[in-house]
Amino acid sequence: MLQFLVDALLRTADLALITLGLSMLYGLIKFPNIAHVQYAMCGAFLAYALNSIGLPLVVALVLASVLTGVLTLGVQLLVFDRLLKSGPAIAMIGSLAVSMVLVACVLGLAGSFPHMFSMPYTEPLVFGGARISKTQLWFVATTVVLLALFVLLLFHTQIGRAMRALACNPALADASGLNARRITNGVTLISGMLAGLGGSMLALSTGAHVNLGYDLLLPVFAAAILGGLGNPLGAVAGALLIALTETTVTNINFGPLFGEYLLFLPVSYISAASFLILLLALLFKPYGLFDREVRRV
Amino acid sequence: MTRAILEVRNLAKAFGAFQVLEDVAFQVQKGEIVGLLGPNGSGKSTLLNIISGFIAPDKGTVMLDGRDVTSVPTFRIVNEGLARTFQLPIMPQKMSVLEVAMAADTTMHGVLPTLFRGAGFCKAERDTRERAMQLLDELLLTRVMHLPASAISGGQKKLLGIVCALMARPRLLMLDEPTAGVHPNLRQDIVRALHRLNDQGMTLVIVEHDMHFIREACNRCIVLDQGHIVASCKPEELASNERVVQAYLGASVEEARAQIMQKEVA
Amino acid sequence: MYDFLIFTVTIAGIYAIMALGLNVLAGYSGLLNFGHIAFAGIGAYATGIAHARGWPVLVGIPLGMIAAMILGVAMARMGRRLAADYWGIATLAVAEILRTVALNEDALTGGANGIAGIPGLFESMPGQWGQFYFTVLVLALVVLIAILSVRLGDGRFGRALRLMREQPALAACMGYDLLKLKTHALMCGGAITALAGSLYAHYFNFAGTEFMLAAETFVLWTMVMIGGIGRTGGVILGVVLVQAVYAFVPFLRDMLGFGSDVAGALRLGLIGTLLLLCLMWRREGLLPEKLRNPA
Repeated sequence: MLQFLVDALLRTADLALITLGLSMLYGLIKFPNIAHVQYAMCGAFLAYALNSIGLPLVVALVLASVLTGVLTLGVQLLVFDRLLKSGPAIAMIGSLAVSMVLVACVLGLAGSFPHMFSMPYTEPLVFGGARISKTQLWFVATTVVLLALFVLLLFHTQIGRAMRALACNPALADASGLNARRITNGVTLISGMLAGLGGSMLALSTGAHVNLGYDLLLPVFAAAILGGLGNPLGAVAGALLIALTETTVTNINFGPLFGEYLLFLPVSYISAASFLILLLALLFKPYGLFDREVRRV
Repeated sequence: MTRAILEVRNLAKAFGAFQVLEDVAFQVQKGEIVGLLGPNGSGKSTLLNIISGFIAPDKGTVMLDGRDVTSVPTFRIVNEGLARTFQLPIMPQKMSVLEVAMAADTTMHGVLPTLFRGAGFCKAERDTRERAMQLLDELLLTRVMHLPASAISGGQKKLLGIVCALMARPRLLMLDEPTAGVHPNLRQDIVRALHRLNDQGMTLVIVEHDMHFIREACNRCIVLDQGHIVASCKPEELASNERVVQAYLGASVEEARAQIMQKEVA
Repeated sequence: MYDFLIFTVTIAGIYAIMALGLNVLAGYSGLLNFGHIAFAGIGAYATGIAHARGWPVLVGIPLGMIAAMILGVAMARMGRRLAADYWGIATLAVAEILRTVALNEDALTGGANGIAGIPGLFESMPGQWGQFYFTVLVLALVVLIAILSVRLGDGRFGRALRLMREQPALAACMGYDLLKLKTHALMCGGAITALAGSLYAHYFNFAGTEFMLAAETFVLWTMVMIGGIGRTGGVILGVVLVQAVYAFVPFLRDMLGFGSDVAGALRLGLIGTLLLLCLMWRREGLLPEKLRNPA
């Protein structure tokens, strides 16, 4: 039972930062950016590269996240700002193109084999029948701290208020003197950094691999939509829900239902579970479970 | 008494706390040309939107030729014989004026006749094209027939909107400010075209501001003010109708006259 | 060299049919279907399953088309109130769910191994002739479907779709049932693409899930957007361009001697860059949709 919760928590941590970045940015940019998960992949590879040239792990992670933020901002300014003038549909196809280019660059430079971070092997911690490695624990802790900081930023600072105002009502915010341009750029940067950090921390366990981004696409979108796009706390809640569903779906013993002793859903159905949730979310609750502000789905 | 072609009963609509329409009821007889007037904010557009199925009313019914069409969605209203135009029509960029007019004929044919150009299909296409061209000619759009529909002037777009509405062969045509933004010379032509349609048996409801147009085109006026109907009379009687003047000027006829006299003296 | 040419042309033909199917959805109707490859997958698996069950293998073709049309109806009904781009994500989810099911349901689809041994269409012909006839068949189908596609676009159904694409409110006002139009468009595009899927299965004698990857939908989208969305000639051009890149890269690899990862990256990168450049500077593709003069 405890292992189940630990697994769910780990999966939440995998998704939370990236989902948060996507959700926040959507509030301002208003189109589904498929390339967002590829920023996470880029962050993973950057962290790996920095780490393998000798930088200590933490430094590599931080630097990778900053670089990813810059990349995100760059792409936003050069590509998406221009495409958005033609509408969200074109911007979405553009994000598809950007994804392809990013994956191509990484594939060409790093190959298709997963790159594992060289980390010393430590005994996993065992408590109450559940195992969790030190890395994973550290990952979860960092995520929680970052989330808490982000919430503080959003709800208790001037800048945070400005961000929320802008997401709510851009015209009004602009009229009351907030510099929409600067704030949007700032949020873009932060969203990219979160994606990069999320991706690199995820890669600590799974290795940096080219499909990292794509594997996250639908779960992250499902989490973001469930939580309500533009709703930061919702994003985390969405991530938790997706994680729980994924963990539950493969851990439930369906045996008794079918008169057998043991019957589990195949592991590859995990992904189908989150796709199904995404579908259901889009069909029945496109504004998210917590139905708040942002309204354009 | 013959059945009215359009009957509205007890219509009410509120947007949030704002009551846009209240207790609106009127009839339109077949063959009339009714003008729907009222100052800005009186609810004319909302009324038009409710009758044409864009918005659902909070209360009340809309009857078309005796049939209850209150909850009929927009795309089916046309089948009931009602067509409408828009105040600010937005037209497609990648379709020519002629194509848009032809598209207004919504009868569909099966997949196979479409793909293999059966004789029936070809004839239908020809007929549609002829009818579209004829209507475009009547509303003076032949010159711009092959231009992209978004490239013509605002006034011409309105005319195209009327052409599209007419393609559906409606029995009742509702026009939303057909002459706003239209060249004065064109207005006469529109009035003539509308009279022609009326002679052929079409009933018209026209939302308008332009008093000249109302006097020339309509044979009855319904005036709305702040969501209520305040008058139903002939165009000539409008100026002397207390409630109408009050609606537009916020004062009685006497006071309005006095004000105007004062301004003239001073 | 001859073999390679035949191969490239045949593949290009099959992709052309799929792209023309997508064009009905994306080009004429403005539907952002990011799960389009599911239709092709259905076609391929229909043929595969027909073969695995011992049915006459040609039955797979109409079976696939009908199944694709059913999926099309479902997709149309899905999220009637969804904005175009979010419907796109929903269709992506649908395609992925189908792919996952195909991956797992061994009994039905052979799971990860797929269904092998599907006979080609002209197997009984001696030597190279079977290949040749197949290629001719594919090209003939491309021409046929291209002509039908132009007719569809120019006729009243195409007009209705294009009006719906640009001004749905106006279309609704004129009396068009938008849901019905979308459903018909999806059924049409889906059936065409399923046909291509069946052809693919016959060509490779195999039906597997790699074919149903979302990446394949993206390739189709690139073909349609680069060439000229909404214009049949443009779509064909897009197919030719993308296929040229796909065929060119292996040559480059042989010449310059880099690995298959880099080859894959180069293909993907070139296609992605082409798409991006197109979107930024020629949003409507190299052969933009022309204004039609109804005859």
